Amino acid sequence: MSARIFRWRAIGPLLVFLLIGGVLWWLLADRIARRSAEKIGTAIVGAKVEIQSLHIDLANGDVTIRGLTVASPHEALKNLFQADELVADIDVVPLLEKKVVIDRLAANGLRFGTPRETDGRVPADPSASVSGRVMNEARDWAQQFQVPALQLATGKIDVGTLDPRKLSAIPAAEALSARADSSRKAWQTGLDSLHLGPTVDSATATLARLKTARATDLAALNEARRAIEQLKQARNRVTMLERGVNGGLTALRAGVAGLDSAKQRDYAFARGLLKLPTLDAPEIGLALFAPSAVAQFQRALYWTQLAKAHMPPGLQPRADDGPPRRRRSGSTVRFPRERALPGFLLRTAELSFLLDPTAPQPKRYAGRLTGLTSDPAVYGRPTLFDASAPAVTAGAMLDHVHATARDTAGATIQGVKLSPMHLPSLPMTLDPGQGTTQLGFALRGDTIRARWAIRSTHVQWSRDSAAQGSTGADLLWRTLSGITDLQVDAGVTGTLSQPRLVVRSNLDDAIAARLRTMLGEEAAVAERKLRAEVDRQVDPAIAPVRARVTTLQTDVTKRLADQRARLDQAQKDLEARLRELTRIRLP
Amino acid sequence: MLTLVKLLQSLVKALHSEGTPGQLAAGIALGSILGLTPLVSLHNAVIFALIVMLNVSFAGALLGWAVFIPVGFLLDPLFDHIGHQLLMHMPALTPLWTAMYNMPVVPLTNFNNTVTLGSLVFSAVFFLPFFFLFRWGVTRYRATIGERVRQSKWYRAVTASKLYNVYRLFKPE
Repeated sequence: MSARIFRWRAIGPLLVFLLIGGVLWWLLADRIARRSAEKIGTAIVGAKVEIQSLHIDLANGDVTIRGLTVASPHEALKNLFQADELVADIDVVPLLEKKVVIDRLAANGLRFGTPRETDGRVPADPSASVSGRVMNEARDWAQQFQVPALQLATGKIDVGTLDPRKLSAIPAAEALSARADSSRKAWQTGLDSLHLGPTVDSATATLARLKTARATDLAALNEARRAIEQLKQARNRVTMLERGVNGGLTALRAGVAGLDSAKQRDYAFARGLLKLPTLDAPEIGLALFAPSAVAQFQRALYWTQLAKAHMPPGLQPRADDGPPRRRRSGSTVRFPRERALPGFLLRTAELSFLLDPTAPQPKRYAGRLTGLTSDPAVYGRPTLFDASAPAVTAGAMLDHVHATARDTAGATIQGVKLSPMHLPSLPMTLDPGQGTTQLGFALRGDTIRARWAIRSTHVQWSRDSAAQGSTGADLLWRTLSGITDLQVDAGVTGTLSQPRLVVRSNLDDAIAARLRTMLGEEAAVAERKLRAEVDRQVDPAIAPVRARVTTLQTDVTKRLADQRARLDQAQKDLEARLRELTRIRLP
Repeated sequence: MLTLVKLLQSLVKALHSEGTPGQLAAGIALGSILGLTPLVSLHNAVIFALIVMLNVSFAGALLGWAVFIPVGFLLDPLFDHIGHQLLMHMPALTPLWTAMYNMPVVPLTNFNNTVTLGSLVFSAVFFLPFFFLFRWGVTRYRATIGERVRQSKWYRAVTASKLYNVYRLFKPE
């Protein structure tokens, strides 16, 4: 008897099993969804996402989240935002395609920058999470900026150590000394090779014979003429040698002048060792506010790059990390297709939020977010955000539809309490109080253009206790504590790999003038000290060379002159005797 | 410990059930899919339904599942590689994956996960070899040492437990 294929009596238990599954879903779906949402949100943001309660109403396509807290990935004890309630109107059918399409999201009671009791950041592991990788990239980007130091706390000028190996005059002097020695040897050889002694001796002997010769002694006369010719040739050789010597001496004298130039360069090098605080106003702006400005730009870059990572442009299949589980996660590959639904789409979000929530009367505003999607190329439209109110204007556009992503964001908030800024280089703390802050950020492909500005008319200053005794800080404190207006403008342009940062503030000129007064005399004393040190190390090397060149010049010139004089005298004597003999012969 | 005892019970009861070697081997082969692939996947609901509905050995399926869970963990790197090759490095298959990805229900199977797809393909390829291998093994077991084991005291102890009654509900007819 053959066995039957189907086990019909198992239908009952299977139905019971399905029923149990349904009951478990009914009991646990909200909890599972809440935990999943927290886990996914934390992975996306790079900081803890906490949800008090989450309720799924599939029949009506509603998901309600209450008590949402998203920690800041940049600040330990601060939340990015909190929301009292989020109600999402979900399209149910796309869930069958494992796609989440939210037609409308209403977010009420959004509060930004609220404090929290525990550190909400998650470790930024670049190999384990996208947010960790992006965080590291943004941090590396921010570290490119060289912020000049403003050494005011002690008012001291640091004099660096002068290393003799780095002075250029000493090796130049050694080289010139070697050249002088070789020139001396060469010229001595040249003089020896002229053989002037035998020529002059021969001329002297001829002259002696000529004194006893008659006017008709043609042989003696011819011998005298030959001697004169030899003397002329010898003098030509002396002239040629003299030209070479003069050229060599000119080069040596130039070398001596070069030693002076090298010494001037050494002075400049030594001045560079003076760690002088910068006295230029733009540099002071950088030193004071660059850390705050760069932190703002770094955050903006983090969010835009994170958005690019989760909302990549293009329609190519792309792999992300698979779901966390006991077994290997693997990679989950998405296959977006034109005119299909994206994996995630938030069509419209109406946002109601509070600004300055700790104030007695926090201000309530409204914003709108449209087209937030995981597949911008599929959706075909950029993500837009705008919020406006009498004192607030904010807008953003994430355009990842095309191959080159274009992200722009801008916000101006007036009458908001600005965070105090610690200025470690002064050292003081600046509390701008209520003021206006602006942030503009544009990233097109690799090209960045960003601006951050703050304005306040109620600045308050406080000193760090560690700097109470410093004279420089006292002077600066007297200068700055009277300033109540603050205007800071910072900008970044260029590419992500080669950004240029400019920071200006109304404090720059005031601080620069005070610095010049405070440090001018001290800088001059330190510079004199360094020049003396350069002289002490360089002069012992230069002086002997300079003397050697002078001696060589004198010696060679004198020897050449002597030789020329001997030749001239011998020729003159011979020619005089010849003239005397030939004069007797003539009638 | 309880899991180990249950596994032992499954093994013993499966090998000595009234089912044919084919029913037992089919159960083990289906159970191997549950063990080799990540459990929480839609295709495993289908496999479970097949195990319940088809006249195969339920104990064999439990046995196959239990035995192949560690194998699945061990072979995960291989599954990941297979899935990666299929999903990312075979352009000819991309239209198929794209169509499936944008189809209702199919994405719920997590087929686009490299480990899930790799393990499912592996399980499917080895389903028939496993079936024939286990059928041969059960036949050989019953022909050689099966009767001696059935007469042993510990076999009677195992089959006398309450779990045996639950098992009888799903024994092959």
